[in-house]
Amino acid sequence: MPTVPILMPQLGESIAEATIVRIGIAPGDGVQADQEVIEVETQKATMGVTTLCHGIVREVLAVEGTTYAVGTTLGLLEVTEEEVARTGVETLEAAAERREAAASAPQAAEKNLHFAVDDDSYEERQPVVEPSVRGLPVPAATIKGAHYISPRMRARMDEMGLREADISAIVGTGAGGRVTVEDLEKFLDYIGSWPSSHASPMRMAVADAMRRSWTRPLATVSRPVLLDRVLDHRRQQDPKPGLTLYVLRAFALALAEDPASAGFLIGERIVHPRAFDIGVAVQVEDGVVVPVLRKVDTLTLSELTNVYAEMVERARRRRLREDDTRGGIATVTNFGTFGLTHGTPIPLPNETLILGLAAGVKKPVWSDQVEAFIPATEAEIIVTFDHRVVDGGGAGLLLGRIAELLQTPERL
Amino acid sequence: MSITYVDAILQAQETLLREDPRVFLYGQDISRFGGAFKATKGLAEAFPGRVLDSPISEDAMAGVAIGAAIEGMRPIVEMQFADFSSIAFNQLVNHAGTHFYRTGVPVPITIRLPSGGTPGSGPFHSQSMEAIYAHYPGLVVVTPATVSDAYHMLIQSVAHDDPVIYCEHKFLYRWLKSPSIQDDGLSLGQARITRPGKHATIVTYSAMVHEAVRAADRLKSESGWEIEVVDLRTVKPIDMDTVLASVARTGRLLALGEAFPWGGVTAEIVARVAGDGFHLLDAPPARLNSRDTPVPYHPNLWAAHRPTPETICLAMRELLSF
Repeated sequence: MPTVPILMPQLGESIAEATIVRIGIAPGDGVQADQEVIEVETQKATMGVTTLCHGIVREVLAVEGTTYAVGTTLGLLEVTEEEVARTGVETLEAAAERREAAASAPQAAEKNLHFAVDDDSYEERQPVVEPSVRGLPVPAATIKGAHYISPRMRARMDEMGLREADISAIVGTGAGGRVTVEDLEKFLDYIGSWPSSHASPMRMAVADAMRRSWTRPLATVSRPVLLDRVLDHRRQQDPKPGLTLYVLRAFALALAEDPASAGFLIGERIVHPRAFDIGVAVQVEDGVVVPVLRKVDTLTLSELTNVYAEMVERARRRRLREDDTRGGIATVTNFGTFGLTHGTPIPLPNETLILGLAAGVKKPVWSDQVEAFIPATEAEIIVTFDHRVVDGGGAGLLLGRIAELLQTPERL
Repeated sequence: MSITYVDAILQAQETLLREDPRVFLYGQDISRFGGAFKATKGLAEAFPGRVLDSPISEDAMAGVAIGAAIEGMRPIVEMQFADFSSIAFNQLVNHAGTHFYRTGVPVPITIRLPSGGTPGSGPFHSQSMEAIYAHYPGLVVVTPATVSDAYHMLIQSVAHDDPVIYCEHKFLYRWLKSPSIQDDGLSLGQARITRPGKHATIVTYSAMVHEAVRAADRLKSESGWEIEVVDLRTVKPIDMDTVLASVARTGRLLALGEAFPWGGVTAEIVARVAGDGFHLLDAPPARLNSRDTPVPYHPNLWAAHRPTPETICLAMRELLSF
């Protein structure tokens, strides 16, 4: 009796192979035309392999759990001549004869190169794609990971004034875990029942600056500094400069000696400071403003004191001009005034550095001169930097130099 | 008694001949023989002298119709197969399409193109020509998918002052039946939402509307997806308002057509949705067409060549899983 193969079918345009999940036939079984006899699984779906015609299973060649290329013979059917004539299927015998005839022909007819309708037998055809362990190089779901935002999602977020940071709380249910519009709407429905209030323009401005800054690889390092000499010096001044100003001035001098760490990276260029204009973070109602003091490296501490007092006064009254907050190359923030002994400040998005001053703490400190522990006021100075521009070593040297300069406050 | 798609075309021509003395029919063997598909059966006897056999020259047929239209007639030309209208291409795109722009005189001809594939019809009797004609300014191209549209859109095509390419699908001729002809008031250039849905949109036309609905039914019963099917009805001009409104609802688009994949109506839809509706898209817009080979004869090959509910479902599942 003629033999007809059971073939791995073309299961989809981008499918080159499939894995056998279950074989539903055994030798000797009778099968109908178009009967699903083998269940196969591709990366996309589970599907059935069907027979081409009525017949009896002679042999099952496929093995469960194994992956086969499209066109592979998975099994063989014994089929009557009548069934072959009725369905017009090509039997193995007929295919072999045709191959032989083609091989013995003096010069086989040229293949039809114009279209993909070449009616060559499947046995002879080279597989178009080499089967691999995981199939065709179909783009993996990972390219649309959790961070992927579709144009529709982006439009909906823009409509609601949302940023990526705003949807970080949402667990995505889309491909690769992406957050879909439906996920977003569900989340908004959920938080709709919570109490809420309107964020002020000041809050939004801080949020925007911090969000933009946070896109960079920021790192924070700190070291202790002794403040006793600064405090002594300060007591003798009138008017008394704030601690912030000593640190500001030391920071400016340290940067002026080695400006590279205040550089700003844009593409392949490092933009260097034009002047050592440094901002000071001033806490105001519902936010922070950063007035910038100009050419801090060229002004004495007493000169800075008046300028600074006037700036802070205007900042607190919300009377800063646009220009007053522009063009800084770094910022100083004194969160020690809130009693904080450590912090990790975030630089402004247009600056590489921010220097923090924590609260002074009385501590026993070893003195080589008197060979004993003596009471001293110690505080941490902290710098957060854009790690693309500055490394931990550079930041350490910078902090060390500032600590050193603060030991000779009379020269600031 | 139900009415078939080809009956509707016959009845529309009967109505037109009865109600408008300017109308006449011109084509190969359409007179006493009744046309290759019997779309003009009995009309020659009912309207003596107004249903005329032409020579076997599509070029001449189109030329005669254009001349008559310029002189005030409303001719309907039956091309035996859409494929053969390529012989009249010069008359249609260079003369009919441009005449009004050049002279201010309209050319109200209607060219009936028996279009699309049927099993065993092969490369010269199966093609879809709508994209070719839609490319040219000055032509209106309609592709009715229902019995009622076959009737009303033929009436509207003849009433329209621009040349209209009326693409009637041969597969629908006798397969598609309706208990009666209904008028839902849509005009040329307006699409219809054949099946409402919310998870994805299939924009299609002609016979593929029915394949899309079958695929949508299957996706609904198997997986609960609700697919919206938009029947363009007219492929030029395209009713982008309806298409974009649908994509706005669903966020996902499959443009489906029986014509060859290179360029064409589906490419036009995708281009326009990507350009005008980028913000609406939740997944890359997809297309599904027949394969880029001549249409094969063998019914099995033909079935593998054109989109079917199976391949539409596969494409939709990919689109929906994005």
